[in-house]
Amino acid sequence: MEKNYIKIIRENPYSLDKNEKNTFFKKKMNDLTRYHYSKSNIYKKILNGLDYKEKNFNLEQLPFITTNLFKELDLLSIEPKKVFKILSSSGTSGSKTSKIYLDKENSIVQRNVLNKIFEYNFGNKRMPMLIVSSNPNISRNSFDAKTAAILGFSMFGTNHTYIINKKGEVDLNEFEKFIEKYSEKDFLIFGFTYEVFQTFFDKIKKNNKYDLRNGILIHGGGWKKLKNKKISNKKFKKNFLKEYNLTKVFNYYGLIEQIGSIFFECPVCSLFVCSNFSEIFIRDKNLNIIKKGKGFVQLLSLLPKSYPGHNILTEDIGEIVQNPNCKFDHKGKCFKIHGRVQNSVIRGCSDV
Amino acid sequence: MEEFKIQSLEVVAMFSLSNLNLKILAGSSKINKTALKPLDENVCEFLNFFSQKLVSNKDARKYSDLIALSFWCSKKNINKLKERFSFNEKRLGRGLIFHVTPSNVPTNFFYSLIFGILSGNSNIVKVPSNDFPQIDLICKILNEILKIKKFNYFKNYICIVKYKDENLNDSTKILSENCDLRVIWGGDNTINQLRDYKMLPHANDITFGDRYSLSIINSKIFDKISKKKLSSLIKNFYNDTYLVDQNACSSPHLILWYGKKFKSAKIKFWNELNKKILKEYQLPMNAITEKYNKYCTDLTKKYIKKGKIFSQSLYTVELNKLYLDLENLRGKWGYFYEINIDNIDEMTNYITKKFQTLTYFGFNKIFFEKYIENNKPLGIDRIVPIGKGLNIDLFWDGYDVIKTLSRVVHFE
Repeated sequence: MEKNYIKIIRENPYSLDKNEKNTFFKKKMNDLTRYHYSKSNIYKKILNGLDYKEKNFNLEQLPFITTNLFKELDLLSIEPKKVFKILSSSGTSGSKTSKIYLDKENSIVQRNVLNKIFEYNFGNKRMPMLIVSSNPNISRNSFDAKTAAILGFSMFGTNHTYIINKKGEVDLNEFEKFIEKYSEKDFLIFGFTYEVFQTFFDKIKKNNKYDLRNGILIHGGGWKKLKNKKISNKKFKKNFLKEYNLTKVFNYYGLIEQIGSIFFECPVCSLFVCSNFSEIFIRDKNLNIIKKGKGFVQLLSLLPKSYPGHNILTEDIGEIVQNPNCKFDHKGKCFKIHGRVQNSVIRGCSDV
Repeated sequence: MEEFKIQSLEVVAMFSLSNLNLKILAGSSKINKTALKPLDENVCEFLNFFSQKLVSNKDARKYSDLIALSFWCSKKNINKLKERFSFNEKRLGRGLIFHVTPSNVPTNFFYSLIFGILSGNSNIVKVPSNDFPQIDLICKILNEILKIKKFNYFKNYICIVKYKDENLNDSTKILSENCDLRVIWGGDNTINQLRDYKMLPHANDITFGDRYSLSIINSKIFDKISKKKLSSLIKNFYNDTYLVDQNACSSPHLILWYGKKFKSAKIKFWNELNKKILKEYQLPMNAITEKYNKYCTDLTKKYIKKGKIFSQSLYTVELNKLYLDLENLRGKWGYFYEINIDNIDEMTNYITKKFQTLTYFGFNKIFFEKYIENNKPLGIDRIVPIGKGLNIDLFWDGYDVIKTLSRVVHFE
């Protein structure tokens, strides 16, 4: 199996068709579940409580945990001394931070897969990279989600230029220097959706007309704040095209718990596409799987090995969408994300 | 505060809110400092009139909490509550009460007002700063009634105010400095924050803070329950819990299964409840992941024996033993802890000050009277049948409201 796995990493990361993937994933996910079950006592207790028996299940029946559980518990399937990196994210709900424990091996695997997926979509040429963020303060082995994303993506670029200063404003000087130097050829722009739009787009718009036609903008992190401003993905792209001739704009989606197996949007149909390394299910309010309509996004990834993050129920609401007209004819499932589940008004009298 | 020291007769007996940065939703900006007699006939009539106005209002009838409020204020109910009070001493209200009411129970402020005015006081009531249609409706009706000649007199005994918590400082400071008593509803944080504001030497706080509640079911009696009684028990339990997302102070989080027949009792009880909620309860989407997450977390704890997901709206988690931190085992949206017990005496060491309501099925009141007498637990202020958990009463959180909010004038 391991050989196969490596082979698949080296191949086209979108190669598996529905049946191949199902067989491959079923075997692999069952192995992973058993693996974490045997390695993490806490995970074992949870799975016992969820009536898991160490036999083979269909993918749909395999036990999953929630994203927030990484905030409540220290979930790791390695000895503490093997921890190489800790990724953390505070998320939006409450003050607790989730902790993702990576050992060296798993860190490399996740990076390799990210690399494979990236290169498939954007080529293997390393391009000058403009980063719409401030230079992150990197402590030795603990990163927040944002830093992890910047570090993860920066391996695809050269001449990294951070253009947000300490005040949170665009450093136009730096920006212009970069454009002058590199914009004649292909270059990368990376950032977080809201920051890219709010800080970068608006700011440079007020100044001269820049031509970013050779740029490739890659952004992720969610639309929550832009939704309030009624900026959709479509409008986002349109604005960049109109103002800067920027045609190549790509949104990505992913969990910090499954950082390597990322989802890029299809350049034609704008849907997120599952690779060989990831799978999605949508669950309704009874947590039953649905094929059509909106529901909770459950994400499966083959990569998490040092922590049990291979099968996760998120708080995101999504929808599986088939687009038969897309010329790319994706083999993996395609989906849309509709944002995070809304908090309800709490009735009753506690927590006031 | 200098402006309040102007020497005029009116000012001596009145408190004016007109200089404060707040919005008055109902009542007058000039508030009487003098008191009324507790359980005054006119007050009861005023409340009854309010009850009738509320129930005949088309918009109000859409809200179950307003219907419940209307029932509570009716002459019939007030008279029933009044019957339990008898005191020979002369009593008067304490004077001016400043009420701070909770941010997420729309009708709570009015119950607080009733507590105050029934005990014979003048009332400044701060309502939550977020908007609730129920509050607007109540205030609209209240203003209409206060315009009627017969009830005009109460205008200077009621002032419903609203202000943003940013200027909590200003208004809260002045209102705290001028009241004879503060009634505070809210979490521990709210109470602690308010304690920073000075009050007059004779003034004090009555706090209705965050509490913990539980239920006890006699499995032996439950085992022989008739179909009809079962369905009414389930309905009552549902009303105590699901109606408020299990989030009221008196909604139970922990179920004690008393006696030997616990096994069959549990299966029957939870399955029947599950049937009802699947038909009637609307579980909010965010509750689904939150409950699942809580369940996974609980499964890793030492004190948990096992759990069961009956449906997304009903999770049960069984404890393997009683332990000292029971009050932190809290569920929401239909998430219950449970444990079997043979003897209620064994609970005593685990009952803390936080414990408020014990709701029961299959027991006699005398059983609990004896228990309290013999064991003297630190907490538990109410022991009522399942279904009466949320019924707000003039005995609340251990206070005899009428007596606590009034003063005795002693004669010899």
